[in-house]
Amino acid sequence: MGQQVSLALRESMHRALVKLASFLPGLLALLLALIALIIIGALLAYLARRILLALRFDERFARDRAPNVADWAPRHSPAELVARTIFWACVLAGLLIGVSAFDASLSASSQVSFLVIPYLTHWAGAILILLAGTVIARFLARSVLIGAVNLQLQYARFLSLGIKWLVLVLAAAMALDHIEIGGTIVDLAFGILFGGIVLTLALAIGLGSRELVSRSLERSAEARSSDARPSAVRPSGEPTSDETDAENPQRPRPTGTLRHF
Amino acid sequence: MATTSSVNEQPSAPAASGGSGLLVSLGPLSREALAVTLSNLAEAFPAQAVLVATPDPVSDTAVAPHLQLVPYTPPAPTTSSWLLSAADYLNTWKLLDGHHAGACLLLGPEAQSLGPAAVRALAEAVVAQHADLATPRYDLGPRDGLVNSAILYPVTRALFAVRSRYPLAVDLALSARMSERLAAVAQRHTASGANAALVWPVPEAAVASYSIAEVAAGPRALPPPGTIDLNSVLAQVAGSLFAEVDAKAAFWQRARLSYPPRNGSLAHTQPLAHANGSAEPPDVTAMLDSFRLAYANLHEIWALVLPPNSLLGLKKLSQLTSESFRMSDSLWARIVYDFILAYRLRALNRGHLLGALTPLYLAWVASHLLQTTPGAPDFIPPEKHIEAVATAFETDKPYLVSRWRWPDRFNP
Repeated sequence: MGQQVSLALRESMHRALVKLASFLPGLLALLLALIALIIIGALLAYLARRILLALRFDERFARDRAPNVADWAPRHSPAELVARTIFWACVLAGLLIGVSAFDASLSASSQVSFLVIPYLTHWAGAILILLAGTVIARFLARSVLIGAVNLQLQYARFLSLGIKWLVLVLAAAMALDHIEIGGTIVDLAFGILFGGIVLTLALAIGLGSRELVSRSLERSAEARSSDARPSAVRPSGEPTSDETDAENPQRPRPTGTLRHF
Repeated sequence: MATTSSVNEQPSAPAASGGSGLLVSLGPLSREALAVTLSNLAEAFPAQAVLVATPDPVSDTAVAPHLQLVPYTPPAPTTSSWLLSAADYLNTWKLLDGHHAGACLLLGPEAQSLGPAAVRALAEAVVAQHADLATPRYDLGPRDGLVNSAILYPVTRALFAVRSRYPLAVDLALSARMSERLAAVAQRHTASGANAALVWPVPEAAVASYSIAEVAAGPRALPPPGTIDLNSVLAQVAGSLFAEVDAKAAFWQRARLSYPPRNGSLAHTQPLAHANGSAEPPDVTAMLDSFRLAYANLHEIWALVLPPNSLLGLKKLSQLTSESFRMSDSLWARIVYDFILAYRLRALNRGHLLGALTPLYLAWVASHLLQTTPGAPDFIPPEKHIEAVATAFETDKPYLVSRWRWPDRFNP
């Protein structure tokens, strides 16, 4: 009995070690490909940077192009942007080569890849979805908060939080769906949560913005009925000049009006 | 009539590099406005042959004989056609070059409201006094052009050391070389399809060490913005100025003021007709509400941009009553400088950054209006207050230079 247990344990350990060993060549290939391409990428980026600096690429670029492109470049240097693009392209190429080598070595030897690799990639995808969702949620929440404050909406923070959680719930549901956890429960829970948030926001905006909407409609109606040209800048509620005095600039305008430009 | 201020100590070379004629470039105007403008031009230049470029059809019989009309196709109208855009500068240079004129007068929308004397003075500053750039000093009401008074004028004066009261004026007189330089800048924008991009003539002239003159232009009806949304217009104009400051950092960090910062009186400029402010008390309730709401909601966004000292100042400000609401000039200067820095460092999305500036600007406007209303305990005439604000910007310039160079250094 004891011998049989011992034998079973030894055999299972042997099988596990064999399977683990079958991982190693693929893993090594992945690491080698990645390291080699990182080194090549760094060399190419260094060379590209030196050549572009020698050619005064930044100055030429600034002279011929709009400044918006340089804005996106690190340290406002288009040459640096080109060098970094080359480096990261090499890193990406190394990653792709390594993963394909890893996949090839595994699929040839065992069935593990059929189970583990898709699961891992799904998890990686889910994490990316969550990260993207978090970034988008933060961006939208800030946009809504600033926009709502500038419109003088008292519930600006509430609106911003609503948008943030709307996007986060959507991202979480997508991530769970991606890794196939929860099945229909996730769909159902997401539908209820999402619908609940939308309904809450709709009620809040509908009840809280009656005056704003009516003011906006009144303004639109006035603008349509009067001269087609808009003539004043105003945040809501602020007194501004609604007329131009092009015909007679010497004519005194009502002193209570403001013109920002 | 014109006062000249140049960044460099050495006088610049005479401007004219092309021919000797004067070209007046007009934008699209209504039939009546064009008639008034042409009449003003005829009066301004009674015995001088002048080329007048206009995109509008005019019968030759309606024009004075010494005005020679030059038709041209205007750039497509944009939302920013209330200001001179990149396409306008490029177009003007093409006309100037094509007709071998030595100087040009660029008159923006609502040009009919600019008097003949102002038109003549602008032209004389460039043609007779050989300035490269002449900007008008409009006589506007105390509650007009507030963005200019709050941000554009103080920043331009402090950083580029040029006392041009309206850096983004809609009427300009340019020498041939100045026009060429502006066209080169404009072409970078138009090449990427940004025809509506703003071009800043005063910083360009300062960087090129060209001479700049300012001319008293009297009253003028400024064209209204193409949109009624203050946030988007403020973001467009302030964003463009911040980008200009960023692009010319190498220059303004070295630029020295040609006059002592504390001497920022009105001695250099002419007094304005509306210098005593408006007697009617301003209604600033909406602006104060906007600021207080923003303080309650945008505090964490402002904390990404402003140092603790400025945040403390804003906290105190948010607790003040309407009557005692005053934003100190130094606090406003710090706020604008910190926003310029955040724009450069991309501390947060630039659209968000400029959106977060609007309530602070409204707070400054409210404070300015309260302070410049006769009867206020600390009454100060509007123009004097604007000069004081500009002086505060000049005084605080070392702060901007220091933080620009070492943004990670501890800043209380």
